[in-house]
Parts: sequence; structure tokens; C-alpha cells
Amino acid sequence: METDLVLESLKFMALGMGIVFLFLYTLVLLMQLQAFIVGKFFSNDKDSGGTTGSKSSNEIDEKRRIAAIIGAVMQHKK
Amino acid sequence: MKMKSFLLTAIFIFFASSVTLSASSETQGGVAGEEAQQVKPYEPKSITQLSAAFLERTGINAILFPQEGVTNGHGEEMTLFEQSTGRVIMFVIIFLLFYLAIAKGFEPLLLLPIAFGGLLANIPIANMTSEHGMLGIIYNMGIANEFFPLLIFMGVGAMTDFGPLLSNPKTALLGGAAQFGIFGSLVGAAALSQYTGYVDFTLQQAGAISIIGGADGPTSIFIASRLAPELLGAIAVAAYSYMALVPVIQPPIMKMLTSEEERRIVMPKTREVKKLEKLIFPLIVVMMIAFVLPDAAPLMGSFALGNFAKESGVVDRLSNEMQNSLINIVTIFLGLGVGSKLASDSFLVAETLGIMVIGLLAFSVGTAAGVIMGKIMNRFSKEPINPIIGAAGVSAVPMAARVVSKVGAEARPGNVLLMHAMGPNVAGVIGSAVAAGVLLSIFN
Repeated sequence: METDLVLESLKFMALGMGIVFLFLYTLVLLMQLQAFIVGKFFSNDKDSGGTTGSKSSNEIDEKRRIAAIIGAVMQHKK
Repeated sequence: MKMKSFLLTAIFIFFASSVTLSASSETQGGVAGEEAQQVKPYEPKSITQLSAAFLERTGINAILFPQEGVTNGHGEEMTLFEQSTGRVIMFVIIFLLFYLAIAKGFEPLLLLPIAFGGLLANIPIANMTSEHGMLGIIYNMGIANEFFPLLIFMGVGAMTDFGPLLSNPKTALLGGAAQFGIFGSLVGAAALSQYTGYVDFTLQQAGAISIIGGADGPTSIFIASRLAPELLGAIAVAAYSYMALVPVIQPPIMKMLTSEEERRIVMPKTREVKKLEKLIFPLIVVMMIAFVLPDAAPLMGSFALGNFAKESGVVDRLSNEMQNSLINIVTIFLGLGVGSKLASDSFLVAETLGIMVIGLLAFSVGTAAGVIMGKIMNRFSKEPINPIIGAAGVSAVPMAARVVSKVGAEARPGNVLLMHAMGPNVAGVIGSAVAAGVLLSIFN
């Protein structure tokens, strides 16, 4: 019996698109999961490149300095 | 006693000399025999004979007076048309490719070496595509065994920033929808073959052609050399030509499928992505490939290696090498090797036209499917999604994303969609590699 090329290719399409979506959907879930985990447990890690408006290093340094000053004042009060 | 030693010495000398003589005569005979096989003994010729023999070895003679029994680089006989008019047509096509690459800026990095390889491949008599010819050596070195596309993929991985995708993961689904172009055109190629009788593609060939819809050059070459090496030249030329034509092919499709209002949608700013997330991402991809689709491991493995080297931040020398020197060197070889398939006997076949038509169909369907998916997601998503970013789901990094951004800015000046479109764009690379893996798994 001769192979029905169109029928076969339709089956390939069903399988192929199914796998592609399944793969990417799982990838989406894993990306969300890792974003959650990294955000929760590794929140000190800063982005180097930054896709959108990341805080400038000056601003961060400023905050650190303020934190250090507050810490020193608290020590002094004891 | 003296007599005995004298006799012994005489026998020894006789024996030794006879052995030496026979050995030397054998050596002479052997060398002469080999030489006779390799080089014909030269016979004195008149100046007329010399000129006639020279003229016979010229390209003009080979093209004007084709002869039966002339073979191509692979030892197959060439038709008279392929030897004469075919070569001239190929020269014209190649000059057109040069024009497109240089004057029009169509993917010049690949089209130029491909076209030049084609030019060399069509030189008569030189047989550069044969096993010992320059193009043949390059082809066997890294294309027949699918090595070069993988090195290119490594470089592309080292250049890719997954930040935009990680900041808005669900846009990956748009990159999946665009792969409909691949499978849609697979059906198209099968139908063309089954119902028209104009071309006769096998399922493997149809699969190799349809990968053009993934708009990913290295993946197309990888799959074509695995499933249908005889169509490699046409597939690579079609893939790179259409990738270069993204700014022409895509905007009308985007505009046809979306309303002005949809194109004006402004997307919210994406969140910040941590460095650690970018570092872990290539590992997640490789582990998923390892568990789900090992057939895509060569492609995704080298892609992830490049990306991991870049994001690790500790091997800048390697990462720089991958995205500069290595990818450049391989591009030269890849171009020339693919160009060897532009010889008239492998390019001027009815299938080439079919490949060009199906390739265009694949590209358009992929774009349309991405945009339609964008519309669906916009309807159901909490955050607004501009549907045209779906068009970037066909890989063609980063041109497709740039085109989307341009069309978006036309509808609403100042609306920058580039970063949002990069998400589906890089997901498209993964998507087409997965689609390629599925096709390989089917035919293996």
C-alpha cells in the first residue's frame, strides 16, 4: 500500500506542535518556578545587564551607606 | 680451511649481489608501473597539437561543446544541459545573489560565501566539489557530518541574552506557535508532492524543506544534511534569502491580521532578571532536552554551552572566542560548503522551485500563527500583550524582533516593543530546535 503523504504529515504536525507546546509550556513553568526560588532565596543577587530600569550602582551604594550609618548609630546608643 | 672460507665468501657475494640486483630491478619496475598509472608518458607534440589540447581543457570549450560521459564531483554523469546552459544560468543566479548580498544587504555574511562557493562549484573541469577539491573537502569536513551548524549554534548561544524571555516567560508560547510554519508547510510539501505530481518529495525531504519555516539557518542546514543532503543548497539559499526578507514578508501579514488598535497596545515594563536566573536557564534547557527530546541534544546542547559560557562570567575568553573568531571562521566554511551544492547539476532541478515556494509559505504561515497566538493570549492574559510580538516567534534573531518594534512604533510612535519581542524571538530558536528534534526522532 502506498503511503498517504498528507495523512502522515498531518500526524507529524499533531505530534510536532504538541511536543513543541508541551516543551515550551514546561519551560515557562520552570522559568516561573526558578524566578520564584531565586527571588525568595537569592534576593541579594543583582542583575548585571538589566533588561529594564535596573537601579544604578550609586543608588545601591547610597542605601548601603545609610544602612551602615543606622547600624553604627544603634551600636552607639547601646 | 682457506679453500672453504673462500668458497663461502664467493657464494655469499654472489647471493648478495643477485638479491640486490633483483631487488633494484623490482623497485625500478614498481616505480615505473606506478608512474605509468599516475602520469601518462609524455610524447612529443607539435605546436598545433599542444594548442588543440590546451583548448580542449578550457572552460569555454567545456561549456560550448558539452560531451557525454562527463562526471560531476561525485562521479555521477552530468547531462549536456547541466554542463552548458545550466552553468551559465547558475552564473547569472550567483551574480544575482552577489547583488542581493552586497547592494541590498541580504544576510551578506552567509549569502556572500555561499554564492562564491556556488561560483567555484560551477567552474567546469576544475571539479572543486569532488572529494579532493577544496569545496568537497570543506563539505565533508563539517557539513556532511553536521558539525559546522552546531558550532554556529554555539556562537549564537554565546550572543543570546535570555533576559527578555526570563522576565516574561509566557511569551515563550508565541515562539511555539510560530513553529506551526514548519509543520504547516510540511503538510503543504506533502500535498504538493501527492496531488500535483510536479515534484516528488519524500517525507524526509518534505521535513527538511519545512524547517525553513523555523527561520533558523543553522537548524535548516543541520536537518537538511541529515534528512535530504541532495536538497541542501536550495534549502540553505531559501532559508537565508527569506530570513533577509523578513522586513518585507512580515509587516503585511502582521497588519492584515491585527487592527490598528491592537498594534497600538503598550506593554508594561518587564521585571528585573537576576544574573542567577540567566545562569540556570541554559542548564534547565539542557536537562529538559536530556529527559524529553535527546534527538535535539546536539543543537540545544551547543546552544546552551555557548549561553552558559557567556552567563557564567568566568570564561569570557571562551565566550568571546565563540561569538567572534570561531563563529566567523565557521561561517566562511559553512558558506563555501553549502555553496558547493549550488552546482548546476544539484541546483537546477524542479525541486528547487518547489522549495522556494514552500519556504515562503512556511515563513508566512509561521508569522501568521505567531500573531494569531498573540491575539489569543492578549484576550486571556491579565496584562495586555501586543499581538504583533508573536511574529517574532519565527527565530530570525534579532531581525524579526526589530521588524516588530518598527511596526509597533509606526502604529504608536514611542512604543518600544523590542525587548518584549525578543522573548518570543529567542523562544523561537528553542522552538525550532525542538521541532527539528521531533522530525529527527520520527525519521530515526
